[in-house]
Formats: sequence, C-alpha cells, structure tokens
Amino acid sequence: MQVIVGGLLLGAIYALFSAGLTLIWGMMNFINFAHGEFVMLGMYVALTVVMWLGGGPTVFSFIAAGALATLGIAVYFSLIRHVIRGPMMAQILSTFGLALLLRYAAFWVFSANIVSLPQTSFGGIYNVGGIFLPASQLLSGVVAIALTIGLHMLLTRTAVGSRLLAVAEDRQAAMLMGIRPNHMQALAWALAAGAAGIAGALMAMSYPWSPSVGETFGLTAFVVVTLGGFGSVPGALYAGLIIGLLQALSAYWLGPIYKDMVVYALFAALLWLRPQGLLGTS
Amino acid sequence: MKLPLAALAAAFVAYPLILNDPFYHDIGVSLLLAAISASAWNVIGGYAGQISVGHGMFFGIGAYAPMLVYRYGELPPVVGVPLGIALSLALAGVIGLPTFRLRGHYFSMATIAVAELIRIYVSTADYLGAAIGLQGPAVGRGWWDLIFRSELPYYYIFLGTLALLLYLTYEMQRSRFGFYLRAIRADERAAASLGVPVRMVKLKALMVSAAFTSVAGSLYSIKTGFIDPESGFGLLVSVQMLITAALGGAGTLFGPLVGALILVPLQAATNTWFGGSGSGLTYILYGGIIVLLARFEPGGLGELWGRVAGRWRVRPAG
Amino acid sequence: MAAVFAAFALSAAATQAFAADSVKIGVLFPLTGNAAAAGQASKAAVEVAAEIINGKHPELADIPLAAEEGLPGLGGAKLELIFVDHQGNPSVAQQQALRLVSQDKVNVLFGAYQSSCSLTATAVGERYGIPFMVGDSAALNITGRGFKWVFRVTPIASDYAATYMRFFADMKKQGKTINSIAIVNENTDYGTSVADAVEAEAKKSGIAVALRVPYSANATDVGPQVLQLKDKNPDAVIFISYTSDSILYMKTMRNVDYLPPMVIGDDSGFSDPSFIPAVFDIAQGAMNRSAWDIGKPGSTTSKINDMYKAKTGRDLDDTSARNMQAMLALGEAINRAGSTDPEKIRDALAKTDLKPAQLMMGYDGVKFDQTGQNILASTYLIQLKDKAYKLVWPDKAAEAKLDWPMKGWK
Repeated sequence: MQVIVGGLLLGAIYALFSAGLTLIWGMMNFINFAHGEFVMLGMYVALTVVMWLGGGPTVFSFIAAGALATLGIAVYFSLIRHVIRGPMMAQILSTFGLALLLRYAAFWVFSANIVSLPQTSFGGIYNVGGIFLPASQLLSGVVAIALTIGLHMLLTRTAVGSRLLAVAEDRQAAMLMGIRPNHMQALAWALAAGAAGIAGALMAMSYPWSPSVGETFGLTAFVVVTLGGFGSVPGALYAGLIIGLLQALSAYWLGPIYKDMVVYALFAALLWLRPQGLLGTS
Repeated sequence: MKLPLAALAAAFVAYPLILNDPFYHDIGVSLLLAAISASAWNVIGGYAGQISVGHGMFFGIGAYAPMLVYRYGELPPVVGVPLGIALSLALAGVIGLPTFRLRGHYFSMATIAVAELIRIYVSTADYLGAAIGLQGPAVGRGWWDLIFRSELPYYYIFLGTLALLLYLTYEMQRSRFGFYLRAIRADERAAASLGVPVRMVKLKALMVSAAFTSVAGSLYSIKTGFIDPESGFGLLVSVQMLITAALGGAGTLFGPLVGALILVPLQAATNTWFGGSGSGLTYILYGGIIVLLARFEPGGLGELWGRVAGRWRVRPAG
Repeated sequence: MAAVFAAFALSAAATQAFAADSVKIGVLFPLTGNAAAAGQASKAAVEVAAEIINGKHPELADIPLAAEEGLPGLGGAKLELIFVDHQGNPSVAQQQALRLVSQDKVNVLFGAYQSSCSLTATAVGERYGIPFMVGDSAALNITGRGFKWVFRVTPIASDYAATYMRFFADMKKQGKTINSIAIVNENTDYGTSVADAVEAEAKKSGIAVALRVPYSANATDVGPQVLQLKDKNPDAVIFISYTSDSILYMKTMRNVDYLPPMVIGDDSGFSDPSFIPAVFDIAQGAMNRSAWDIGKPGSTTSKINDMYKAKTGRDLDDTSARNMQAMLALGEAINRAGSTDPEKIRDALAKTDLKPAQLMMGYDGVKFDQTGQNILASTYLIQLKDKAYKLVWPDKAAEAKLDWPMKGWK
C-alpha cells in the first residue's frame, strides 16, 4: 500500500512536467527534447535560492517557475520560432542540442556532485494507518495535481486558454481572428517550462539529484505524453499517475533495476498497439 | 570530379605512413570509425530524413556480438560480425514496422526509448557481462583474432570498410531507391500519393543503416578489446553519430566524413588543451554546435559549401 | 586540419619542456564527466604524493623518500606527473594511454578509476612494455589476464567481501545474531563486482543472502526497495552505493521507520564528504570500510591529511588516499630501480615489499603476487559516531567501541 501511495505521489509530479510537454506537442507539433533539462534546472534554481537567499519552498517554487518560464520564452524566440517551419532535422536537432547544452552547462556550473536540499525533510512525517507519508512528498504530490488541473482549467475555461487552443487547432484561422500565434506559442512555452520548473522545485524537496537527471525525466515525460495522448493535459495527468504507480510497483515486485525498463517497454508496446494513447486523437 | 576524389583517397591511404606514430594512427582509426558510423546513420537520418536519436542500439549490438562469440564460443571475435548484423536487422524491423506508419516524431522517440531499454537490460544481465562489460582476447591467438600490436592494420581495415560503405551509398543514391528516399524526405504525403511505397522504403533504409552501424560497432569492440553498456549503448554514442553527420551535411555523400574530419581532431585537441582542468567543455561545445546548426544551417557544412560554391559559379562570363 | 595537428605537436612539446632530470608518469583519470569529482580528488591526492617525494618532508619520516628531495637512487630526479582526462570512456582511455606512451614518452602509467578504463589502458601498457600502476579500480580481471606489466596496490572486491565475513564471524563470537544479510548495490561495474564477491563469500561462510537489490545509480525514489528490505528483515544490510543513493536510502529508511540492526556501507557514497552532513542525525552507528584513517593529530597520517586539505579544502577520502598510497609505492619502486628504464622499474615493482609502518594506509603491507595484485591489501571498518567515523574493527587498531545494533535516529 505504501508502495502505491509513493508511486502515485511521484507520478503526480511526472504529470505536472509532462503536461507542459504535451501542451507544446499538441500546439505546435513539436517535441521538446530538452524538457527534462527544464525540470533539472528547476531543481537547481531551488537549490540556489535556498543556499543564497535562504528561501523556503513557496519562495523557491515561485522563483523556479518564473525563471524557467522566462527561459522558455527566450528559447522560443531565439530558437524554436525559427526552426519550427524548417526541416524535421532542424527541429529535432534544435532541442536535442539545447538539452546537451543545458545539461553540460549545469555540469560546469554545479559540478557532477549529487546535491540535495539541506534539510532532511520539510515538515516531518505523517503516519496514516501504517503508511508513512513524508510531508514534503505529500505536499509536492498534492500541489502537482492541483497545478496540472489548474493548467487544464486555464486551457479550457479561460479566454487565454481558448486562444492557445485556437492556435493549436488551426494557426491560419486563429490569425484571421486576430490572435497572434507567435505570442500564444511563446506563452505555451512559458507555461510548459514554468510547469517543469515547479515540478523540479517540488521534487528537490524530497529527492537528491545531479545534472544527469534531465535525461531520465525527459524520457519519462515522453512516455507519459505518449500514454496520455498527444496534446491532452488530462491525459498527461492520468498517464503520469499510472506511470508513477507502474514504476513503484515494478521496483517493488521485480526489483529496482527493472522500473525504468518497464516504462520504456510500455512505451514500445504503446507504439505497436495504441500510439495515440489513452485520451489522444490520432 | 574524379581527380579530387583520387587525391582524397590517396591522402587517406598515405596518412598513417606520413604521420607514423601510434597516437596519430589511433586518431586516424577513431576518425574512420566516426565516419563509418555517421555515414551509416546518414542512410536513414540524412537520406530518408528519419531522425534516429538512439542509433547507438545498433552500434551496441554490433559491438557486443563479437565479444559474446569470443566469451561463449572461444571463436575469433570477427565471427560475431554477421551475428550482430542479423540481430540489428531484426531490431530495425521491430522498431520500424510500427513507427513508420506514424508521424516522424514517434520514430525518433522510439529510438531513444528502445536504446535506453536495451542499455539498461544489458547492464543488468549477467550473461551479457552486466555492467562490468565484456573483454575480447587479451593476446591474439592468430591473425584471425585481429589483435594487432600496431594500429596500422586496423586503420586500413576501417578505411576499406568506409570506402565500401560510401560506394554503396553512392550507388543507392543514384538508383531508384535513392529517388524514392529523396521524395519521402521532401514531402512524405506527396510521395505516397505518387505511388512511392513509403513504409517499405523507410524500413529498407533503416535496415541498411542498422546493418552498417552494427558493423561499425563490431569494428569498435574488436579494436578496443572491450565493451560495456555505456560505451556500446550510451547516449553519447548516438549523439556522436548524429552530430558528425549533421555537421558535415546529412543527406550528402561526404557530409559525414567531413563532420568526422572536423570533430575527431577537435575532440582530441580540446582534450589535450582543456582536459587537464576538467571542465567538460567538449559537450557544451557539442550542444552549442548542434543548436547553431539547427538554427542557422540544418544542412550542415555541405549545404553551406554548396551555397558558397554556388555563388562563385554564378559569375557572369567575361 | 593541419593546423590542428600542428597545435597538438606544440602542446605535446610544451609538456616535454620540463627538465630531462625527471621520471615521467602518465596519469589517467576521469577529469570530466560523471566521475569528475572523484577524478579531481584523486588528481590532487597523487599531486600531494609527488610533492611528498619531490620535496623535503622530514616530518613524514615514516614514509619512504619523504625526508629527502627527489629520488636519491636517481640522483635526486623528481617525479613529473602528466595528467590526461579519459572522460570515463574506455576508448578515450586507450587513446590517451597511447598518447602518453608515444608522444609524452612516459616511463610509467598510472590510473584510472573506472575499471572499464583501466582495462583498456593497461592493455596499452602491456603492449608497449610500460609498467602500469592501478591505484583504485576494483574489477578482478585487471590483474587476471596474465599481464606482466600491471600492478595494483589497492584491495579488490574479494578482499572487501572477505573482510566483511571475518567481521561477521567476530560479531557472532560476541553473541550477535547474523543469520541473514541483504545486499543493495548500484549496478555499474563497481557495485556489481563487489556485490558478486560479497554474495560468494557469504555463501562460503554460511550466511544467507536474504535479498539482493541491484538498482540504477542516481535513482530518484528508492521507496519500493526499502519496503522490500523491511519485509525481509535481514540482520545486516550492506550498501554498495554512490553518494546520492546512500543519502537517499538513509532518508527513505527513516521515512518508513525501518532500521536494520546494522548498516554497512562499502565506502564510496558513505565516505563522500557530503554524506555525513546530510544524514548524521539519522545514521548514527552506520558502518563503513576504509583503509584510510586520518588518525590522531600529529600523526603521520594526520599531517598528510593536512597537506591534502590545504590543497583542496576537504579531508582526504579513502579512494583518493588509495591512489596516493599507490603513487608513493610507485615512487619507492622507481627509486630502487635506480633508472627510468621501464623494464627495470617493472622488475623493481615486482620485488616491492613495504611494511605496514611505511604506509599511510592500513594495509598489512605491499607485496605483489605474479599477477601484479597486492596480496597484503586489507581494510578497516569504521563506524559513524556523532559527526565522524571512528575506527572500530579490527580490535587491535580500534579507537572506539563498536555499537551493535546501530542507533540510527533513535
């Protein structure tokens, strides 16, 4: 039971950063290979804030969100906007190269040492009927779910959201309606990167990391997005929880080595059987 | 056209005899290996336009096969080469069949995921050496073990393989198959509507690419005498192939070779200059190069050269 | 491209601009990449070793060659270290070893941290007849290939496993229950080879291995693994992990309130300077192995630690210390050889016979068998008390009492 809860809490965080990836994919038919690195950077922002400004979780989460959102916009305007209309090679290479750049720049700046936030845990541990829930993990999971749902609400219930979706649906038509696709796409990048940043900050509260975690998170995000269906934020939520759960269960039953393998194998199976995922449209 | 080609070939043949030193030989061998891998990648990534970001899986299979036949059958490692090819072809089929009917992104993602899957599996499987890796023969039992004291024989074997690969690529490019590839790369849907058997062609290209990448991997492990999951299936293996081909010009015949000619010495040089201080500059450089390529010149240096050369040619007579 | 090669030649020449009066040692370490921190630490350690030999250090008189300047057997010649970065890549290690041999014309090779890199680099040494001193890599077959030019001072996986079993036997004699153990190992070559060795030795000693948990280093969440352990409830858990995993495991165990009677860390993560500050409050009594102990203030080892600390700002850790010791042993052998000729150095190495009093490490000595492995390599066991590790086993070297079961966070 403990295993299940742990898996779901982690899965919620997966859902949060994958939601951003699926948003970009759905809107612009573009895969961000550097998404994992955004999460990783969020973690380092949290560390920097704690070490240099002495802030707490709320502070560094906001700063992580802001910093990454800004990065997202910067990346969009300097890079993505130009390659999006070009050959596939350029599109894939662009964020792939960006991922390498960010990851190894992090190695340079922060060194390869594994780091974690200075406290053992924020706020102690609750014991609910035999299941131990560290407050930090619980908080992270809940916040992650809330934010993911919030993102979905933003997209479907607000004016800004409908503009974003309009551009996703049909760029030309949206332009005709007076919506500026460039701005909307930049906004999407800001949201996606910001979400990744917060996800990173949330994870930093409970787990140690190093610059190389971006690679694993990136792949996890891919699998979540494929499972959930491209472009679907609710899909990302369900898929994230499922993947988190699946990982935890396979680690428990089969052994920790297999937990990543199971996820990738699931991915391969999805490609064969149902590439549009649970809630996506082909 | 023939003359520069002959000159190039002569230069390559003569290189190790002119710079007669084991270290420079080794660089030459690394360069040729990089060129072979990148040229193999080029078939699917460049000519067919299907970006594989996990091509290391074929390299790794090709690298492990010779070490496995040596470990379990005491056979000369070179016997593992056809085995590696066979397995890579099978894997190519498994990946290509489902993904080639979907959008290009799926193929790319599948390549990363499957490459990682295999890497993790191999690193846990004891019979495959697990994380410790596999070793080849420490001392050659005969010439067929291909363990040479000098780097020279490796150099010429690799050179021959590269020449063969480039020749085959050239013929393919000129053939109808090459025409189909160009059509698919330009506009897949249009090609399909014109009757090009898109799925079959992509699959075939992937298989050819996989087979040659496998050979590259085999050459690597035979020469190094050692393989482990990271050096066989690691992300860096895939990245190297991709960036080498893209830098020189993916989809051109000599692009990958040009990329190798630039990157391999550059890598060795930055290691010499910066290596001692340990700053990891090489990979930041890689990332930066890839981003710049994507942003400004996705066709790589080949395209850049084409444009520059084009400007020269279009000079008014007289 | 010609320009690049010219630049090579220039830089190679620059490195050779040193005096002809020196012994050149090519040192291969991962100075970039995942193991960069360890590589850099070991680089600093061997630099200190060279400084001890090259300079006048009468205060370290126990250590051979410390008191006088340079190598008296070679007329005062100094050790010249040439560092290369193999980035953790065995192919690059091979290439760099070639460069050291053919370009820098080193007399001896040294390295290389990752076993995969040591395997390929030592093959180069063997091929060209250059002695190779391995300071830290643990894979068995580095010295198991019938090579004549490879020497290894550090203990290897089987030595550690044997140590643990001897320890358990001692504990049983004192009445502790040790019927089953669990092994948790990260699954690269380091973790796997030690875990394999421990499992084999445990079988020989009649201790059941209740659970073996290989996992991927840099794991983000180890909850399920810890729960597996809790279920099996072994009498001791041996962790063969790197830093982040070690910290993560301790924290996760605290979170689910699972404290085994004893936790033994196999160096690595448990010895990393960030381990104690991160988990000292919950890991009291955790044990670790180390062949290196800083010792009392004023002792030789403590002075050596001061030298290292002055250079890097950190205390000397076990892995770097092992490299330092290997470099010191190498210097002693070269001195006996009285020449920079690789063949003579090799023969001198083969005849090495250092006594424990001449070492900075806790080995029983340095003596190589015909495969090149130091058969007198051994290790201490230390235990975390408050914020530092104290030597608790074997009894004859112990400086503190051993607590079993461990206190943990209670």
